[in-house]
Amino acid sequence: MVYIQEAHPSNAWQLESNVKDSVIFADPMSTDERSDVAGLCVLRLSIRLPALIDNIGNSTERAYTGWPDRLYVIDRDGRIAFKSAPGPYGFKPDDLARALQGMARTPPD
Amino acid sequence: MCKLLKVAIALGVVYALLVAGLYAAMAQPPERFGQIMKRMPRQMFFILPFKPLWMQARAGSLRVGDQAPDFTLQTTDRTRTVQLSSLRGKPVVLVFGSYT
Repeated sequence: MVYIQEAHPSNAWQLESNVKDSVIFADPMSTDERSDVAGLCVLRLSIRLPALIDNIGNSTERAYTGWPDRLYVIDRDGRIAFKSAPGPYGFKPDDLARALQGMARTPPD
Repeated sequence: MCKLLKVAIALGVVYALLVAGLYAAMAQPPERFGQIMKRMPRQMFFILPFKPLWMQARAGSLRVGDQAPDFTLQTTDRTRTVQLSSLRGKPVVLVFGSYT
């Protein structure tokens, strides 16, 4: 997982559903703050994937157009093998699973 | 009839401007887009074609087959860094997201 800018921070486009669930965070303004919120995200959502934090300049998010959420698969040669449509509409793990299954059927060179 | 036509054209122009404005907002950096959305009346979601505009505005320039942009990022606990290119030789899944 690459933790990026908050999608619905309390200081911008906050959603009622997040308020109801007490998921209320302002967008982190420093690496320390981003690390803190990312750590809580990983802990409370029980995320078991290796989790990284984007730098505070959001350069990784910009390079991949990852906000608010998005899925990619990078192949063995470092090329993009799967790119989802932008989330939330395009965030479909089943499509990701199919892409991985396709790669599993292709033996490495 | 002529007056009705003028009203319809005026409404069409206003709608087109709203659609163009929303698309332009979606093309802004996330923090700026969030500030715009904070002020947008909720009714606009039902009037404007949010989803198709979003899919286009946030499509991004990367294509399947492109070299994945390299990055070196810290783990959330900041105990180590990971460079994407160091993982060559095995598939890598990237899940971009946040808490909210």
